[in-house]
Amino acid sequence: MNKRMILSMVATAALASWIGIFSSEPVHARIKLATLPDKEAVVVRFDNPNAVLVEEERTISLQKGVNNVDFSWAGTNIDKGSIVFRPVDGSSKVEILSTLYPPGEAALTWEISSPDARSEKFRLSYLMANIQRETDYRALVSKDEKTCSFKHYFKIRNWSGGHFADADFITRDGKTFDKALSQGEAKRVLVNKWETVTLQKEYVYDLTRHSEGKVMTDYVLKNAKEMGLGSIPLEYGKVRIYQDDGNGTTAFTGEDWGRFTPIGDDMRLNIGIAQDIKVEFKKMVNNVENRRGNVYDTDEVDEYEIKNFKDSEAVVSFVLRVDGEWELKNDSAGFESFERTDNETIKFKVKAPAKGTPVKLKFHYQKKNVW
Amino acid sequence: MAGSAASQCGLSNFKGPVMRTRMSWPAALLLALALAPVVQAKEELVTLPKRDTVQLTIYNSVDLTLVRETRNLTFKKGINRLQFSWANTLIDPTSVEFRALANADKLDVLDTSYPAESNQMLIWSVSCEQDISANCEISYFTSGIRWDAEYHGMLANDEASMTLTALVSVTNNSGEEYEDAQVRLVVGSIHLVEEIAALAGGDREGRKKEAYATMRRAGAEKDEAGRPKEIVKQGLSEYYIYSIEGTETIPNGWSKRLRSFVQAGVPLRSVYTWDPNRYGAALTRILTFKNDEAHKLGKEPLPQGVVRLYRDAGANRLSYVGQVSTAYIAKNDEVKVNAGPDAEVTMKLVRTSFKKENLSFQWSGNRQFVQGWDTVEEFKLELQNFRDRDVEFELNLAFNGDFDFESATASTKVDFRTQRFSVRQGKGGKQQIGFKVRTRFGTNVRNK
Repeated sequence: MNKRMILSMVATAALASWIGIFSSEPVHARIKLATLPDKEAVVVRFDNPNAVLVEEERTISLQKGVNNVDFSWAGTNIDKGSIVFRPVDGSSKVEILSTLYPPGEAALTWEISSPDARSEKFRLSYLMANIQRETDYRALVSKDEKTCSFKHYFKIRNWSGGHFADADFITRDGKTFDKALSQGEAKRVLVNKWETVTLQKEYVYDLTRHSEGKVMTDYVLKNAKEMGLGSIPLEYGKVRIYQDDGNGTTAFTGEDWGRFTPIGDDMRLNIGIAQDIKVEFKKMVNNVENRRGNVYDTDEVDEYEIKNFKDSEAVVSFVLRVDGEWELKNDSAGFESFERTDNETIKFKVKAPAKGTPVKLKFHYQKKNVW
Repeated sequence: MAGSAASQCGLSNFKGPVMRTRMSWPAALLLALALAPVVQAKEELVTLPKRDTVQLTIYNSVDLTLVRETRNLTFKKGINRLQFSWANTLIDPTSVEFRALANADKLDVLDTSYPAESNQMLIWSVSCEQDISANCEISYFTSGIRWDAEYHGMLANDEASMTLTALVSVTNNSGEEYEDAQVRLVVGSIHLVEEIAALAGGDREGRKKEAYATMRRAGAEKDEAGRPKEIVKQGLSEYYIYSIEGTETIPNGWSKRLRSFVQAGVPLRSVYTWDPNRYGAALTRILTFKNDEAHKLGKEPLPQGVVRLYRDAGANRLSYVGQVSTAYIAKNDEVKVNAGPDAEVTMKLVRTSFKKENLSFQWSGNRQFVQGWDTVEEFKLELQNFRDRDVEFELNLAFNGDFDFESATASTKVDFRTQRFSVRQGKGGKQQIGFKVRTRFGTNVRNK
């Protein structure tokens, strides 16, 4: 039994989409009346890192029998295949019989069967493209560089073609904020703030990070409760770092991309070069031995002279790499313990006394079976 | 907000969203303060908050300046909307921050909105518990302002010491005029993952043209104190901050140079150095000193910059020695300034003999071909000092391959292929240093 009741509306997330109810007959000549039912809950979810899900609710008056509800979204970026439509009440007797897709239109029609005349609340979910998101952070480091406050911002830019008059935006870590967001507009919101986060400062010598052998300054934040963080995984985003200069104001001290940091993991941020620590490299021995045909071994001694011109001692983390088959010789000197993190890489720490007193590091190794 | 033809970043304060007014501040910062809910048009201007202070923190390792300004703003109970716009400037929109310095517990920034119609404007929604006025700070990054260090070294007549003058210059091509700004210069190399100029976007050349139109009205600078300004240096993390005493006005397109410090009687050592890998083929005079207390320095690191050297030519006249760019010099580190060649101190490298020895052969068909050999070369270094004072030499000799080095004169091993002679030569005298090098080639190359 077909009903001739016609009702339509602009789809909530509002966009240029709309929903209409009408008789089921000529689908290609639908009448789209703009009698707009009240908007109800609109939710924009960012919990998937690669997609934005919009959910909206509409109360639709149905007649007994089969009703046709038309939904169109011209000019917006709704992913047609992603649309899910169902009554909010899971035990509702209302049934969605079919979905019709007219040719060449950003539209569809649902055939809905209702046991009686009633108002039924439906939920419509769909993926929407071109809603950009961005996470960024601000760290304000204390003068002594032991702690920082850490602010987490979430920014959304709406290029979807739609207009969100009043929506709940839900971030990946479950934070909800209620905003209006029109087409082309962006909004940035402070979503989390951690007041006192323990910070570790590290000086690193690593030629793969700075080919000229400059010493890098890193801050390491552990995303853990005992360090003042640890409530959510930290999203990938730019971290801008400021420091209290002790004069009631702050200075910007650098920025880095913070990688996605699960709870329990470290976020390492490079703020810049430690200019007061210099490392000078010299190859003191570069011999060939044990020649067999075109195969040989090498005997190599690399010397590193570290000068720390600061007024206090500094510890420098060294990351050295040797390719291929190699072994460290026992008369290597200047570091006590080391970690061979992979076949090519060795890591250790060196204490550099203050005021430029040089400390030498001898790295003696043998490469084997080279050709 | 109203645009003006000139470059501007703006601040105005209004009740309602749409009133547009230029500020008296030359930079024409526009900040609008409006009550929510926002309705369209016909809003009334309430007050224009006066800018109280501005501070520039200028970096030299990257094109970045942190601008921090304070103003007293009046807020109404409820939601207030503050609009900030920066047309025709080089401001990075992602860096703009608002912070209440007073009454911070009563003010809460709910969000920052970037309207679709303008990429050079934002609106803060600030909720306020009651009608108050509060001193607020707006900070942002701009590009186009830089600072450089320069040094003048005046060598004493005996060239054993110099008067070192350190200078800093600030150049403003940001599109903004910063009037009465507290200026801080950051010495150090910070890490940026994106260039500020790229984030600011837009047509920089267009801005420069506009800037040129406004730069002439900057007029003469005030000389407030009648003495050189003091520059206070302070360490912060891996950086040093130089704070220039008082405030400065640096109109767009202009540069200003100030004296950082002057130090007389800095002891100098001259070393005539031969190191082709570092200084080229000529014997080069390297002036060295340390940035430490023994050299009457060491209070601060010396930022990278150009060092120009002059010699006292008598009667308060100068003779130009040369110039060189120097990297950052930490406290207690040594400085080497390349003063170029000196015609009165010479070095000549002469090969006095050349032989091939220990030839070995292999057969190929009925012919023999050489497969291994040694070269034996003897050299002499002739050093001559025509000056009227003793001089020091440092001569670095680099070799390749499997070589043996021999000399009757003491030398030190610099690295696996470099030997160094360090000798002195009295005034008006000369000396010779002999050395012999055997180099093995082909199958003669040994394990070693």
